[in-house]
Amino acid sequence: MSSFKKEMIHLLANYGHVGFTFVACIFIGLGGGIILDQKVFDGSTAPWFTFIGLAFGIAAGFKSLFDILWRVKKNDGKNDGKDDGRG
Amino acid sequence: MEHPILFISIILEKLGLPVPHGFVGHTFLEQICAPYMTYTWLVMAFLFIVSKLTLGNLEMIPGGGQNFWEIVIGGMDDFFADNMGREMTDKLFPMIATFALYIAVANLIGLIPGFMSPTSSINTTLALTIIVWITHHVIGFRAHGLNYYKHFIGPMWWLIPLMLPIELISNFARLLSLSIRLFGNIMAKETLLGILFMLAGAFFAPLPIMVLGVLVSLVQAMVFVLLTVVYIAQAQEHAH
Repeated sequence: MSSFKKEMIHLLANYGHVGFTFVACIFIGLGGGIILDQKVFDGSTAPWFTFIGLAFGIAAGFKSLFDILWRVKKNDGKNDGKDDGRG
Repeated sequence: MEHPILFISIILEKLGLPVPHGFVGHTFLEQICAPYMTYTWLVMAFLFIVSKLTLGNLEMIPGGGQNFWEIVIGGMDDFFADNMGREMTDKLFPMIATFALYIAVANLIGLIPGFMSPTSSINTTLALTIIVWITHHVIGFRAHGLNYYKHFIGPMWWLIPLMLPIELISNFARLLSLSIRLFGNIMAKETLLGILFMLAGAFFAPLPIMVLGVLVSLVQAMVFVLLTVVYIAQAQEHAH
């Protein structure tokens, strides 16, 4: 496989799941909030836990987004250093 | 939409076994004969037989088959060792490499007419994901003991009420995103190919999608393995 293709697959693997992870975080947060409201407290606290869960979900989405960015940045730095060391 | 022609299902029906007409069956025998199960076994048999044929007798000077496997296994070994360390790689290489080969073959097999990708069923991908998710927590517990909880409370004690739910949500989101990404990509590919075959199969309309399908299959297998390795590496390293 040519190095360009390899590079592209690496980039796709690293960044291709950004959007999906973001959405999954929001849905997990929202779902947790709705379950707390409707099942645990039987609707007496609606809609508060739904909103709180949604807010936490969005925050978790951004957190996982930054995690991906920082991890890729760290790995890039590591690889650059290795390449420099090799010559 | 027309029903796709799956040759294993046809053979099983000729043999008199019940093949479910929906996605999953009701009785145990129907569930076993569901297409994604039979094609999972086909992929497993394929991997067994091919590796047995090419690696049955190892030689000092490798022939074509042995060369191929040396490149594949060596490349994966280097990649894992780069990301999660030599010790962890030696321990977990069989599991993750099996996942990689299985997912890659299972994705690619769906491009051949008459076959279907087992990974285009959420049951298969969710099973793989749950194994990965539990494994990375077990590794975290074994590496840190009870101090593993520090991974989930953030950097400072007064941030715990904020960080604990966020970390828990983003951890559970791994379960969802890892399974649904693989399932969604492969099912979209299969459905698109099926529709294009039905609409304009005589004019080679599915051909460009098949080219894209090869790329998607390999990239999704790679993404799954990369994320598995990253999760295990993160569970193993010290909390920030």
